[in-house]
Amino acid sequence: MTHSLSSVSFDRRNFLRGGLAAAALAATGGLAGCATSGTGPAPAASSAAGPTSAENPFGLAANSSTEAVIFNGGYKTAYAEFAGKQMEAKQAGSTVKVSPATNIAQTLQPRFVAGNPPDVIDNSGAGLIGINTIREQLADLTDLINAPNYEGQKIADTLYPGVTAPGTFDGKFVQLNYVLTVYALWYSASLFESEGWTVPKTYDEMYDLGGKAKAKGKYLLGWGKEAATYYQTMAIASAIKQGGDDVRLALENLQPDAWSMQPVQDVLNGFKKIIDAGYVKPGGAGTQFTAAQAQWSNDQDFLLYPSGSWIENEMKSQTKSGFKLTGAPEPTVTSTSAMPWEALHSTAGEGYVVPSQGKNVAGGKEFLRAMLSKDAATNFAKTTFSSSIVKGLIPADGFGSTALQSQVKMLDTAAANIFSWNFVDLYGTNTDQLVLWNSFLQGDSDVATLTKGLQSISDKIAKDDSIKKVPVS
Amino acid sequence: MTLVGQGAAPGAGAGPAAAATPPRPSGGFRNLGSARWRRRNLTFDKISFFGVFLVVPLLLYVAFVVSPFAQAAYFSLTSWSGFSPEIPFVGLQNYARLFGDDTFRRAVGNSVILALVLPSVTLALAMFFATLVTVGGSSRGNVRGLAGSNVYRIVSFFPYVIPAIVIGLIWSQIYDPNSGILNGVLTRLGLDRFTSFAWLGEVSTARLAVMFVIVWGLVGFYMVLFIAAIKGIPAEIFEAARVDGAGRFRTAVTITIPLVRDNIQTAYIYMGILALDAFVYMAALEPGGGPENTTLVMSQQLFTTAFTKGQFGYACAMGVVLAVITLAYAALVFVVNRLTGGRNEVAE
Repeated sequence: MTHSLSSVSFDRRNFLRGGLAAAALAATGGLAGCATSGTGPAPAASSAAGPTSAENPFGLAANSSTEAVIFNGGYKTAYAEFAGKQMEAKQAGSTVKVSPATNIAQTLQPRFVAGNPPDVIDNSGAGLIGINTIREQLADLTDLINAPNYEGQKIADTLYPGVTAPGTFDGKFVQLNYVLTVYALWYSASLFESEGWTVPKTYDEMYDLGGKAKAKGKYLLGWGKEAATYYQTMAIASAIKQGGDDVRLALENLQPDAWSMQPVQDVLNGFKKIIDAGYVKPGGAGTQFTAAQAQWSNDQDFLLYPSGSWIENEMKSQTKSGFKLTGAPEPTVTSTSAMPWEALHSTAGEGYVVPSQGKNVAGGKEFLRAMLSKDAATNFAKTTFSSSIVKGLIPADGFGSTALQSQVKMLDTAAANIFSWNFVDLYGTNTDQLVLWNSFLQGDSDVATLTKGLQSISDKIAKDDSIKKVPVS
Repeated sequence: MTLVGQGAAPGAGAGPAAAATPPRPSGGFRNLGSARWRRRNLTFDKISFFGVFLVVPLLLYVAFVVSPFAQAAYFSLTSWSGFSPEIPFVGLQNYARLFGDDTFRRAVGNSVILALVLPSVTLALAMFFATLVTVGGSSRGNVRGLAGSNVYRIVSFFPYVIPAIVIGLIWSQIYDPNSGILNGVLTRLGLDRFTSFAWLGEVSTARLAVMFVIVWGLVGFYMVLFIAAIKGIPAEIFEAARVDGAGRFRTAVTITIPLVRDNIQTAYIYMGILALDAFVYMAALEPGGGPENTTLVMSQQLFTTAFTKGQFGYACAMGVVLAVITLAYAALVFVVNRLTGGRNEVAE
């Protein structure tokens, strides 16, 4: 004798219908994605610090272990493991665990919520944690740069000038940016030499060079859709050089008329002239950015590319042999600019932070001290062809890299004229600004539209009370 | 299946019956075994059936679906940054902000457009192909599909086998303005205006280009779904229609579609949910929201708000809005189907 299941008032249709509604609900994964994965906060007590000494300035407890989470990007993580080994050798008995991560925010978010973050984090990459959201949970690193390095010299004296500025918020130094990044206009020295071209120093000279390039069947500039704002970076740098520090402060402090200031407008108009002349390779708004960069470094379809000094590493496998990658400072509007053309937009990137809730805060700082040692910093420069913030470690031949040579040269000639800004990263406005710059580079919008759009993005942040502002002076 | 409900109180659930019967069935295998012989309505089969098929899934469902939803709904009332243990309560402030947020409003608009266009286009195409492959063949002899229909069926399913992210990456290469195959073919044909034309970068084409990719990726799956449904219709019905003089189009409209109506409704809801999400395709094709944000969708905006801007509370409010829109969409499909007489047309 058999009964079907439906005889116990089990209406299959209704069941399926309910299942469908449940599926509809489950498919809205975005909603569930917001949930926490752990229980309430359980702040871990930092392990008791041991006695301090010149060899052990942060009072690292004997035989303690330190956990470092390192962004696994263009620089890989071997340089951090090298520093870990240095620390283990210096502080006998201590152990360092270096774990790579590619998406820092998503990987570490639950650990911040649960109150047990790693001891030191390389907070970098596209998925970094916005510093504004965690800066109150970070340890002050002032004692780190005041401590002696592994060679006995005070760390602060071994660094390039101004490198602690981008990690300082409201007077508290919470983020050590390890890699020195120089923003420049990159070109192929060999191509410029064979064509007899010189690097343009103003937007008018750039325009003239565009005409010469056109005659050779090449474009002056090009861009990729995710990296359209590299031109914003160039434009801001040009405007600051042209108009001086007031421009920087107005933009940083999200002032209501910042983007309408004369130097900014002059730069945008100079740039618009180049775009309207057809000197920018079309199609960038639909091109993936590394593909666009390869059109420059490999195909040599266009001549100049504004970017940070990571470009050499990023395009290493797609650069034409004999390219001789070289950087030059961004152009100014006139030769009588407030800052000289040699002034340089340079900042330190690859932000290392030590969460104050970590189990071993002293270990986190000691790890950074090892990273700043002469051996570890030299190893970093040699293996990544990039300069760390520790100065004077790169030989004249730049380990065989023309880009590194030009980088050191630009830093030397700029001397004290080095500047940078934070507001784009700090308030996370890049995504919104990309849209405007793609249209502008494509020739679809004019200077007024771009100005209005950029200003409204700044205004939106300025008016939003839920976003903590960092005043800059 | 063993007897269920025989002689027992109607709708006997495990709970009350078990409570009335010591020893409790949760005691272990041996007890259950003996209970099985004493009380016919509380067999081991029955208990284990309820346990495995109802209690366990329900617990999993509560733990992994209901509770995150409840949490997210709560967080939407806070200004939580996502990275601190402090979760300040702000009431409905996030929702008030959402209504004034023009970027989010645009994202909602884009998602709604996708939800309206994608299911209609995809399912119409899928139904068209399914009909051709099953009943659209020669009008002599048995009712059958076009010659070689097995090949078409397999080939059209291929895109569904490829993960969505891969589809997105493939098509972003095809659409590449300077080295993509699409512009390569078009310019080779002499259409010079497509030289360096940015399909994904022009306001006029970005949305269409993205929608085409999604349709391309899913039409094969829904075609196979509809083929299965059409195969379930007795061939005699089609034969009778043919004898009465119905052509292919007439057969499709008056016979096939009414008979697979429930499948269409289900497909419509799934496709609509996918269109309202569309995150993977957009992440691959238009990670920045497209030209003038014409392809920005809610899920992308939610992701950026949470992880880039560190505003989890606000992002959760977006999630709640997305969930409400999705449920409203599903309800709308049910209602439309009911109003057009869907309920009783098809026997179970």
